[in-house]
Amino acid sequence: MQVELKKFGTTLLSRQNGREAFAAFQSNLASLGEKEDLKLDFEGIITFSPSWGDEFLSPLIKQYGSRMVLMNTGNPSVKATLELLEKINQLTFNVG
Amino acid sequence: MTEKDLVTISEAAEILGVSVDTLRRWDKSGKLSPIKTSGAGYRLYDGSQIELFLNNLFGLAQDWVFRGTEIPSQFYCSNSAVFQARLIRMQDILMEVAELSSIFSLIVAVAGEIGNNSFDHNLGNWPDTPGIFFSYDIHKRSIVLADRGLGILATLRRVKSELNTDEESLQVAFTEILSGRAPESRGNGLKFVRKVVAENPIGLLFQTGNAELLLSKDSGVLDIRPSSKPFRGCLALITF
Repeated sequence: MQVELKKFGTTLLSRQNGREAFAAFQSNLASLGEKEDLKLDFEGIITFSPSWGDEFLSPLIKQYGSRMVLMNTGNPSVKATLELLEKINQLTFNVG
Repeated sequence: MTEKDLVTISEAAEILGVSVDTLRRWDKSGKLSPIKTSGAGYRLYDGSQIELFLNNLFGLAQDWVFRGTEIPSQFYCSNSAVFQARLIRMQDILMEVAELSSIFSLIVAVAGEIGNNSFDHNLGNWPDTPGIFFSYDIHKRSIVLADRGLGILATLRRVKSELNTDEESLQVAFTEILSGRAPESRGNGLKFVRKVVAENPIGLLFQTGNAELLLSKDSGVLDIRPSSKPFRGCLALITF
């Protein structure tokens, strides 16, 4: 399954918005196959922050581990956020 | 200055986003006085004088956190939704500045983390005025954020009760990753701020309580010191 994160907005900053996005995303996850990868595409994201990322990505990586694949992570705020979240969660994102 | 540059107290109040009574108080205290008084006794302000007043963003934020003075409505975000909308507007402006193309998203993320921190940590606990001061001057390359909340020490003590001073709380907030921060699932945004500032041409002055922190590119050791004027809440100046 491939999901474009820009469908949640191109500026993803607050915890509140991250929580709302995560809740809305639950219905999409229901159709994810048991061994299927969850591909999250950052293409089109303008600004990303640890608050939003911690609410959305942290629970997903705890649940799906390396099956969660992050794509198009070149944006400087995406890169900096992912580095911090890796440190906080003490794990490494699978960047495709 | 010509007569056409002069504005009445009502017009000045509208431009500044404060009440006429506030302008009268500011006149009495000397904070902002009219340039002249008309024959009929009406206060008249000069347009460029108002512009200069609005340009002193850090001074306006200091007055608000130190003394609780009214701030122009254009700089006040009463809730997180207002802040998000204004942050996106700032992002759109920064995106147009060619020389900032490689760091504008980081500047917006840093401002977002500091502002959102104020809302997240004070929700339901604002001691008096809820919300934050948020303003920026793209020409001067500066962003100012402030809140009249509980301050870093009081909010960090909820999860780290052994903290005693504002200086210690700044050290922890900007360096220590706090995991399992039950009952709060938040924090760590200021570590992101530190990382981004240390790796990019961005500067930060952050004050809380009676301590302040200065950060700039390549600053390995945190420069934390007592501040000259203690206050409750947080005040931040981002330069780039």
